[in-house]
Amino acid sequence: MRFDVIVIGAGLNGLIAAAFLAKAGLKTLVLERTDRVGGGVRMSEITPGFRCPTLAHSATLDPAIVRALALERHGLEIFQPDADVCAPTADGRALTLWRDPARACQDIGAFSSRDGARYVPFLESVRRISGVLAAALASLPPSFDAPTAGDVFAGLKLGRAFRALGKADGHRLMRWISMPVADLVTEWFESEPLCAAVAAGGVLGSFLGPRSAGSSLVLLLLGAIHRHPIAHGWCSRRGVGAVSDALTEAAREAGVVIRTDAAVERIEVTADATSAVTLASGESIAARAIVSSVDPKRTLLKMIDPIHLAPVFVRRVQNIRARGTLAKVNYAVSALPKVANQSPAALSGRIRLAPNMDAIERAFDAAKYGGFSDKPWIELTIPSVTDPSLAPDGAHVVSAYVQYAPYALRGTTWDDERERLGEVATRTIGRYASGFESAIIAREVITPLDLERTYGFTGGHIFHGELALDQLLGRPVLGWTRYATPIRNLYLCGAGTHAGLNGDSGARVAKEVARNLKRQ
Amino acid sequence: MNYDAVVIGAGHNGLTAAAYLGKAGRKVLVLERRHVVGGAAVTEEVFPGFKFSVCSYVVSLLRPEIIRELDLPRHGLEILPLDGTFTPMPNGDYLWRVNDHAKTRREIARHSKLDAEAYDEYGKAMVEMARFVKPILNMTPPDPLSSNPRELAKFWFLLRRFSRLADDDRYNQLQLMTMSAVDFLDQWFETDVLKATMAASGIIGTFLGIRSPGTAYVLLHHYMGEIDGAFRSWGFARGGTGAISNAIADAAREAGVEIRTLAGVARIEVKGGRATGVVLENGDQVMADVVLSSVDPNQTFLRFIDDQELPGDFVDDVRRYKFRGSSAKLNLALDALPHFTCLPGDGPHLRGALSISPSVDYMERAYDQAKYGEFSRRPYIDMVIPSLTDPSVAPPGKHVLSCFVQYAPYTLTSGTWDEQREALGDAVIDTIAGYAPHIREIILHRQVVTPLDLEREWGLTEGNIFQGELTPEQLFFARPVPGWAQYATPIRNLWMCGSATHPGGGIMGAPGRNAALRILNRNRG
Repeated sequence: MRFDVIVIGAGLNGLIAAAFLAKAGLKTLVLERTDRVGGGVRMSEITPGFRCPTLAHSATLDPAIVRALALERHGLEIFQPDADVCAPTADGRALTLWRDPARACQDIGAFSSRDGARYVPFLESVRRISGVLAAALASLPPSFDAPTAGDVFAGLKLGRAFRALGKADGHRLMRWISMPVADLVTEWFESEPLCAAVAAGGVLGSFLGPRSAGSSLVLLLLGAIHRHPIAHGWCSRRGVGAVSDALTEAAREAGVVIRTDAAVERIEVTADATSAVTLASGESIAARAIVSSVDPKRTLLKMIDPIHLAPVFVRRVQNIRARGTLAKVNYAVSALPKVANQSPAALSGRIRLAPNMDAIERAFDAAKYGGFSDKPWIELTIPSVTDPSLAPDGAHVVSAYVQYAPYALRGTTWDDERERLGEVATRTIGRYASGFESAIIAREVITPLDLERTYGFTGGHIFHGELALDQLLGRPVLGWTRYATPIRNLYLCGAGTHAGLNGDSGARVAKEVARNLKRQ
Repeated sequence: MNYDAVVIGAGHNGLTAAAYLGKAGRKVLVLERRHVVGGAAVTEEVFPGFKFSVCSYVVSLLRPEIIRELDLPRHGLEILPLDGTFTPMPNGDYLWRVNDHAKTRREIARHSKLDAEAYDEYGKAMVEMARFVKPILNMTPPDPLSSNPRELAKFWFLLRRFSRLADDDRYNQLQLMTMSAVDFLDQWFETDVLKATMAASGIIGTFLGIRSPGTAYVLLHHYMGEIDGAFRSWGFARGGTGAISNAIADAAREAGVEIRTLAGVARIEVKGGRATGVVLENGDQVMADVVLSSVDPNQTFLRFIDDQELPGDFVDDVRRYKFRGSSAKLNLALDALPHFTCLPGDGPHLRGALSISPSVDYMERAYDQAKYGEFSRRPYIDMVIPSLTDPSVAPPGKHVLSCFVQYAPYTLTSGTWDEQREALGDAVIDTIAGYAPHIREIILHRQVVTPLDLEREWGLTEGNIFQGELTPEQLFFARPVPGWAQYATPIRNLWMCGSATHPGGGIMGAPGRNAALRILNRNRG
């Protein structure tokens, strides 16, 4: 069987690209290196009967994609838990940011009545500002060398969205875009647990501390993608893996062929164009176009012989900053962790373990020198609270982001430090949830090195590259932000490309490829 | 008595604005609280025979337009070269960069051949970028939310300029404007000490570490001088930095400007939303058509003006404006020249900047301590010995050593700066002694200028040497606050002309000139 398009990688963007390509009438093959689909959005059975999100514990897709691919018909059930974030404090209390703003304000009021009054205006302001970023993501970055009428139109539209913010929010956007999230948060709030809980959203997955300039942008950007300033990502029945499952169903229904355990070793290039890939097994598969949803560094530096690329382009790809800082620890536990005596409803969202912003900053300090802190910043979810089917009766699965765990350790390796990282995470969680340690049935530690080796994230970076201003205006590299590459018929999508964090890049690359193939 | 314009503060920006207004025929009065003009660009004989550039100690980017238009050399300005930067290293080696490109290249090659090659390319790229940025320094920043076609035209100008850059320059420019100094330099160089020393300029006067995004931009300043042509970017003024202020003051006086010292302003008079003059601390009243303030926004708007005269959101914005002074000065009178263990003797390396910035980690650790409210026990230090180039500032055979110290955060978690002053001085000397052990024996006198001193004596709020942090969110169309980056204020006839306006601090003079030109333009129109 001859394929029109090969998609490398069965992550969200890859599956979405494939589904749309197939819907456009193109014969599409997805090649996935690991044994299952989903990329960063997958589940694993840590021990029999316990199913836990392996990597990401939440995901978001553009609602337009959910509709276009009828994902709900394919089994996706999205819901919002009662609590956005629960932040236990060092003194045994807890601040819960309920989904219901009135209730959240009440909880915040117990810490600071001033903050309670400011919470809703804050959410609204960030929502409006994130809306402009969402508009920026919805249009293609401008082409400087050959601007078209479409570019000008997109620019004007974006300008209008910005000006529609009005003075107060317009000025905020101007300042916030380059500000440290610690400064942003303290402009609004005074209570430490609230500041830390909000600021944490600005450092997630990034090589930034709350005091690093640029961390506000991460908060705003994730807020834009997830349509919520604080709680990033959805929850779905049967765990986050259900998103990938629904996408797989949709893709298969559209006629996509998906092969797992099929690692692409090389993208074959002849005369500046590609027409085939070679698998690790030696098998060669031809197609008219190839779309890689794997991160840009891996695609362009590992899968392609550099002689096919201009040195300046190679250098720019090498320059992409993708130093992962996030590790993942998954637990099977025999009982619900007792976090500051909170009700299960309070624990239904994210649980952020940092007493104050300085604690996060100090955790980051260690990473700068190639170490990891004994007191990391941790975000937990307990998906079995909202979906008991993920664990046996009364038992739970706990999914923990542990930061900062720098990809490049000094003087040691992650293979040597894996267990210590697990211990540190366990101890830290235990500090906020008494009895946690003794309830552990099984534990799985995924270091940044594992993220790279096992799951293919270069540098262990969960976003395929830092969400920094220069890397957002030129994602993956300046001048190549429209999914095409210098190699004809080779396209990129995924988190390392423009609008790749919510599946949009998959939908857009499909459109681009379909249009170009029709022309040929 | 009624003046056309009264200028608050006789720092180099206030004087520059006054000189331009005076030259345009306006009757101008400058009011200075201290006994000398110059503000932070001042030379004082702190110890008999030893003249110190007490605060600001090098000339950075003084606009060639100002030198030319005010004819400063005729008024006594002489800039002497500050040749290179010498960085001693703990392993006994050093890095010594000089203005001579070929020499520096050879020196860098000693550390890394690759870096020596990259240095050529880097230099060329930076000059291109400096060319791009230069006209922006003299520009009144546009207001992104304004619908005025003139404002939109400025954006169009910037956009077109950017889009006309070569592809590589665009890439570099975007990176330089947004990245951290270390990340940016990592792409070019591998030598740690080289990166640390170059990156150090990115954090001066900010409360950020060299790994924090937004710190790369200042790297450009070192190349701006090359295209300015008149002289290199960094230099000494003969007679100390006060000589610059004196030259500008002289030019101003020649243009008919009246300058009064020991004349602190207590209040700006506002009637019906218009500034009408100022009231001095001694109760004197000065009426003027236009009031220019070269002091920082905290003083101007929160001290000199009643809250009720200003829109509430503006006051909030001014309150949010970040100062967070992070640096201190240590001025030493020396019996002899200091000698570095790694390169003994009185060599020409002592004529440049001497930088204690041995590694990226060192710089970062200095920052880490300050983040949590302590001064760095091992700080970044930038030293110069102006008496080597300009013997007039010290008695024969003696020397002055000026040490810029970072980080010294304005807000300490324990103790006050009055209690910690000498401890800071000791920490600096201990640090220097690590590279030049005999320093302790040659110190005759020392003066420690803490952030608190900068605030009390020089009126720099929270001791910020640039009248507010030079971080991206407080630059260009957001300096000092968004919507008010065009030197005007919500009060009619009250203008800002200090370092808290575009393009910011350093002895550049551009804010003073830009403001004056804008006022004159307004008056004409």
